[in-house]
Amino acid sequence: MAEHLVIVAAILILLGVLFGVLRLVLGRTVVDRVIAVDMLTVVSISLIALYAHVADRFIYLDVALVYGVLSFLAVLAVARFLERGL
Amino acid sequence: MLELMTSVLCGSIIISGFLAIRLSSTMAAMVSGGLAGLFAALCYLLLGAPDVAMTEASIGSGLSTLIFLYALRRTTGAEN
Repeated sequence: MAEHLVIVAAILILLGVLFGVLRLVLGRTVVDRVIAVDMLTVVSISLIALYAHVADRFIYLDVALVYGVLSFLAVLAVARFLERGL
Repeated sequence: MLELMTSVLCGSIIISGFLAIRLSSTMAAMVSGGLAGLFAALCYLLLGAPDVAMTEASIGSGLSTLIFLYALRRTTGAEN
């Protein structure tokens, strides 16, 4: 049961990456692409957490933590720049 | 499954780098370049190097995007 859940989660994460990249390629405005990058960041964090569970090495969760904080800051800076300039 | 995941991520690095070259908007190209660093960090992690992944995520995806934003603001401010 648990390994089936892991496989389902991996398939969902793969679909998330594929559709996020699709939106990034097709996106008409800059805001579409920024939102796609934000979504891909969230999907990536879930991928890191899933891999930490599969590989049974919980040091990888620290990578997910750093990743989440820094990419949040980057997206925040981009959004502020788009609104009224840094 | 791990090989499929790594292949998808490597293809995403290539697509993001191609977009960073080809997009006309500077802002979108910058975001795509940061995304290439983000996928590279994921690849490093899946290949078994979490410390390299952490450095790549902080420098390549976070700090370089901020520095590019700062440089873009300074250069476009000088024009007007």
